[in-house]
Amino acid sequence: MNWTAFTARPLRRAPLCWLFSAVLMGAAHLVPAASAAGADESKPLAPGPTLRDPWVPPESRRPSASPPTQGVALRTQVERKLRQAFEAADVDHLGTLTQKQASAGGLGFVARHFAEIDRGKTGKVRFEDVKRYLVEHGAQLE
Amino acid sequence: MQPSQSTSRRWLRSAVAVAACASSLLLVGCGGTDSSSNAATYFDPTQYSSNAAASLAQATELASTTHHQIVINGTTLAYHATAGHLTVSSPTTGAPEASIFYVAYILEPANATTRPLTFFYNGGPGSSTIWLHLGSFGPKRLVTGDPSTTAVSPFPLVDNAESLLDTTDLVFVDAVGTGFSEAVAPNTNLAYWGVDADGAIFRDFVVRYLAVNARAASPLFLFGESYGTTRSALLAFLLETAGVRLNGVILQSSILNYNSNCGVTGNAVVSCGGYVPSYGAIGAYYQLDVPNPTDAALPAFVAQMRALTISDYQPAVTQFLASGAVPNATLLDTLGNTTGLSAQKWGTNFNLGPDVYQPTLIAGILIGIYDARVSAPLLSPLAQSGDPSSSFITPSFANAIDGYLAVDLQYTTPSRYTPLSNALQVWTFAHDGLALPDVLPDLAAALALNPNLRVLSLNGYYDLATPFFQTETDLARLGVNANVQTTFYRAGHMTYLDDQARIAEKADLVQFYQRASARK
Repeated sequence: MNWTAFTARPLRRAPLCWLFSAVLMGAAHLVPAASAAGADESKPLAPGPTLRDPWVPPESRRPSASPPTQGVALRTQVERKLRQAFEAADVDHLGTLTQKQASAGGLGFVARHFAEIDRGKTGKVRFEDVKRYLVEHGAQLE
Repeated sequence: MQPSQSTSRRWLRSAVAVAACASSLLLVGCGGTDSSSNAATYFDPTQYSSNAAASLAQATELASTTHHQIVINGTTLAYHATAGHLTVSSPTTGAPEASIFYVAYILEPANATTRPLTFFYNGGPGSSTIWLHLGSFGPKRLVTGDPSTTAVSPFPLVDNAESLLDTTDLVFVDAVGTGFSEAVAPNTNLAYWGVDADGAIFRDFVVRYLAVNARAASPLFLFGESYGTTRSALLAFLLETAGVRLNGVILQSSILNYNSNCGVTGNAVVSCGGYVPSYGAIGAYYQLDVPNPTDAALPAFVAQMRALTISDYQPAVTQFLASGAVPNATLLDTLGNTTGLSAQKWGTNFNLGPDVYQPTLIAGILIGIYDARVSAPLLSPLAQSGDPSSSFITPSFANAIDGYLAVDLQYTTPSRYTPLSNALQVWTFAHDGLALPDVLPDLAAALALNPNLRVLSLNGYYDLATPFFQTETDLARLGVNANVQTTFYRAGHMTYLDDQARIAEKADLVQFYQRASARK
């Protein structure tokens, strides 16, 4: 091997590589105008396909028919999301979680504040206990 | 790039790698970097792929470490940069899911308990984090000359006098299938190309980063841009649920509800009212409004445009969408005078989206989407991508990153960094029962779990991608909340590219960090 091979091969290969990527990846892929090390500073870089953010493919443009939630509807939606997270951790479907179950179920918030949420010191908390704790700490829930 | 390679391709990559190593060794020899005794170069032999079906057979948690200095506000600060990967594992099974590439900038000497830590990411979805990494508040930035298009390219990379490194440690993270981030087998990149899966993998990355670097006690912040704000709202909820307490969420040019942005959904059923105040500001920039407000009067003029939109345009557009009712001539005249378009154009396109405003404001000219102050003649090279403001800066950003990582940060690899994957084409946008994501409820849920959480929404008056008034309207759903703050700049979507706006934004961010870091 020699230095000519190191430098000449990548530069010769590059345009093929871009074409390959462009065909494979579609128009959204950036086409590099030059290699990082080999950029020719005397020439302006050619513009390639560019980022469009936000953007959604035409077939996915299915906006919601309902108006955005706010007020009571939003607070109800928030409570539903919190309840879903609780129920996802409640794998036994008993309606209660121990600190260990909360931790294992990804509900670190409940595990972390377990002693404060479990007011009756029963070793188990219900979703309503979590909700009461949140409201007491300033959460806007229904 | 394909996971399986021919012998010649492999040889080519080794050749590039050897050459890259040789050049970095040369630079070290010449004193090109200021590495100290515990600096570590890293040659990463892994071949990363951004293909949907790609995955790594295995992953390692290795990184380069280099030491640097920067002057901010007249003070010389020492910091180290870490560039490499962390392996993110499933919180339930512990199985590796993805190898995530990141670059962290950490102030020295470090105080892990009081020093804020911020995770940065762009959006797309499918974009790497090059824009925030090399354009905003990192220790280096590319000099774009925004909104002019006369700067010589490639843009020079300079020390960033407005870096946030004096205020917070910075971690720039690349999504799966972008940069050098890739899924670990048996998972593929595609498995993380959806709103929920992407949010979860970012949560697990943050958890991993905090554990590996013993930063659980640090004040924590998220800084996402565009789709990155969609990710941030969900990620804030996921982190708070997981017991990771955040101090602040910074929303750079937001899209919190894809269902409310007519530039994304089309104008058949969704009102374009969120864009009308932006049209007012852009018309004023081009001196096309009648009467044209002075630059100093821009905030007051924009306030009038918000009021006009709420009181007149929005009711009329609701009727128009329901029944095709033609709005009255007085309103069309008012809209014409205040947006730079003719009353006649408003009459024929009453629910007027940015796709109509952008090519018709000035005859023969296409104005930018990301920064409407940037313009180019229709059919000129800069206009061909559909956004001259993006075309002008993209090649310089895409080409700067590989060399910066290899030479400045001593992370070398035979792979090429993927600035933008094709994830957007196949992304799963569905979230929480809707086909397009509305993450305002996720942000509200994060605020319910952590009422001390502070939110800062940064907006550009000349942004035609995520218009500021739509963002204000979306955030207003939260009700009155003193912890949610909104700021505006005379700039586009990437407000930080504008030299004046970046200074103002830095000052606002420093104040925000001071308020939000106080309690956790």
